[in-house]
Amino acid sequence: MSGTSKARRGASQWAVAWRRFKRNKAAVAGMFMVGGLIFVAVFGDFLAPYPGRPHPGALRPLYDGEASQPPSWKHPFGTASVGYDVFSEVVHGAKYTLYVGFVATFITMGLAILVGSITGYFRGLVDDALMRLAEVFLVFPTLPLILAFTRVYTVAAGTTYWNVMGVNIPVGLTIVVAILGAFGWAGNARLIRGEFLRVRELEFVKAEQALGADSRRIIFRHVLPNILSPVIVVSTLTVAYAILSEAGISFLGFGDPNAITWGQMMQENFIDIRIAWWTEVFPGLAVLWSVFGFNLLGDGLADALNPRLRE
Amino acid sequence: MTGLAKYVARRLLYMIPLFLGISILSFLVMYAAGDPIRIILLGKPNVTKETVDALKAYYGLDKPIPLQYVNWLWNLLQGNFGRSLYAARPVNKIIGSWFLETVKLQLVSIILALVISIFVGVFSAKRQYSKLDLTVTSTALFGVSMPTFWFGIILIIIFSFNLGWLPSSGAYGDPVKWWGDPVLDSIAHIILPAAVLTYVSLAQNIRLIRASMLEVLRQDYILAAKASGLRERSITYRHALRNAISPVVTYLGLSLGGIIGGAPITETVFGWPGLGRRFVDAALQLDFPVVMGITVIITIMTLVANLVTDISYAVLDPRVRIE
Repeated sequence: MSGTSKARRGASQWAVAWRRFKRNKAAVAGMFMVGGLIFVAVFGDFLAPYPGRPHPGALRPLYDGEASQPPSWKHPFGTASVGYDVFSEVVHGAKYTLYVGFVATFITMGLAILVGSITGYFRGLVDDALMRLAEVFLVFPTLPLILAFTRVYTVAAGTTYWNVMGVNIPVGLTIVVAILGAFGWAGNARLIRGEFLRVRELEFVKAEQALGADSRRIIFRHVLPNILSPVIVVSTLTVAYAILSEAGISFLGFGDPNAITWGQMMQENFIDIRIAWWTEVFPGLAVLWSVFGFNLLGDGLADALNPRLRE
Repeated sequence: MTGLAKYVARRLLYMIPLFLGISILSFLVMYAAGDPIRIILLGKPNVTKETVDALKAYYGLDKPIPLQYVNWLWNLLQGNFGRSLYAARPVNKIIGSWFLETVKLQLVSIILALVISIFVGVFSAKRQYSKLDLTVTSTALFGVSMPTFWFGIILIIIFSFNLGWLPSSGAYGDPVKWWGDPVLDSIAHIILPAAVLTYVSLAQNIRLIRASMLEVLRQDYILAAKASGLRERSITYRHALRNAISPVVTYLGLSLGGIIGGAPITETVFGWPGLGRRFVDAALQLDFPVVMGITVIITIMTLVANLVTDISYAVLDPRVRIE
């Protein structure tokens, strides 16, 4: 995407992409949905009428005799049988959702770029071996393995929080996220490898090689910047995937009881669905909102940045 | 037919290293966290060291990890999955019936998803960019964004609790309600979980079949078929679909692992007495032999499903057999 014709009009490829993105209604909707999620995650403490657990104030509805109540003006999403306000907990859950999405994606994409670059650039035996490994990860059912590993390592870890510069980071959730990230690299690595194979055959890379540049310079200065747009697109879709997976893992009871994510809420209240449907419906809608938002955004970015990626 | 037989044999040979790879991987990572007995006893300080050592010796956990792996594999090849740490029964005795329940549910939904997605995908592709096509594509994206278990919960709330039409959990249970007919009873139980599983794979399948059909319909030979006056239906289903389906079959094979791997979620929501739900129970209890046993069975199921995919791929497209 050098875009010589666009350069004449004085617009960078990013400005062109932004113009294309703005015209796409679904993409803009996705952007606003993700923006809304980030807003709620950042200002959660001001938006929620009740503090989040484990703060004792979270259970005030219980002491006011308002447990298991259907949605009302005071409790827009109702209250749980344990006695907390579902709306407040959903708001507090937003920050965990972002944490899960971004950290898992960071790990997945880090591994995918590493493997994709190595296999795509050097090819040969390393390529064969790593791509066979990727195939194994792609074909085999990873969810059961993720569940087992999560459980084993959460139990083995022992502690509940890491205190990093005054912020409590839940250990269990971090383990879930790390394992999720470590298992997700294969598909993305294949995609990045494909991009690498395409770009490394282009003339400017050949020219650079002829000029005697070493592999590191070619990979970091020339190839990687040129595959930035597919990387951005798959990263966005990976965030959606990670949020969805974490919700499933937590729902099955493998999550972190000290980090009340939306999946965790649905796990706690599953036994109550007959009497309190609102405790399941609203956290699920929140997951749907976030995942759908990131998916729309990702598809929109794919259209805007790299029309070649679309069928 | 010898070409096909050779092809199958080659695929079978290819599976052995794959199976070994996945078993070593899961064995290593599982045991890297420490030995199971220690992990299980983490919160229980009153167990003496002698008891721990005796337990370790009983389950063969006092030997080095490579030796443990070889022992485990050797027993496995003789059909011996080891003993459950909790149920005090051999794993292979308890796994059989769960396995059948899982296969029943998965088969029904895979077949349903394939049939429905072929019709919808073809229909959508033939009317590209029509209202219906746009509805289908956007519903499909919505479908992949929805947590499976949440969709199941919504169905349970509507169809079991509010309308009272279908049972909310289990695979069988109250035949009285279904005129004393056990078959109707199990059909009633399978509808909701099968609907969820079908819907989940539907979204991806439809997107793929649509894209693949769109490409094939643009080919010259379709135009030639039209020019020679063949009927529209015959062109779509006999000439176009046969070529459009190959990439879909490949994808389906690749996604089967994910579908089978998703079993824990659906089975937990619907209380389905299958492998997936037992896996969740065993993993929560850290019952290592059961966890490893079910992992192996799921791996073999995936391998067999892949083999079936490969064979049907080779039957559909003769070019594949030559390599």
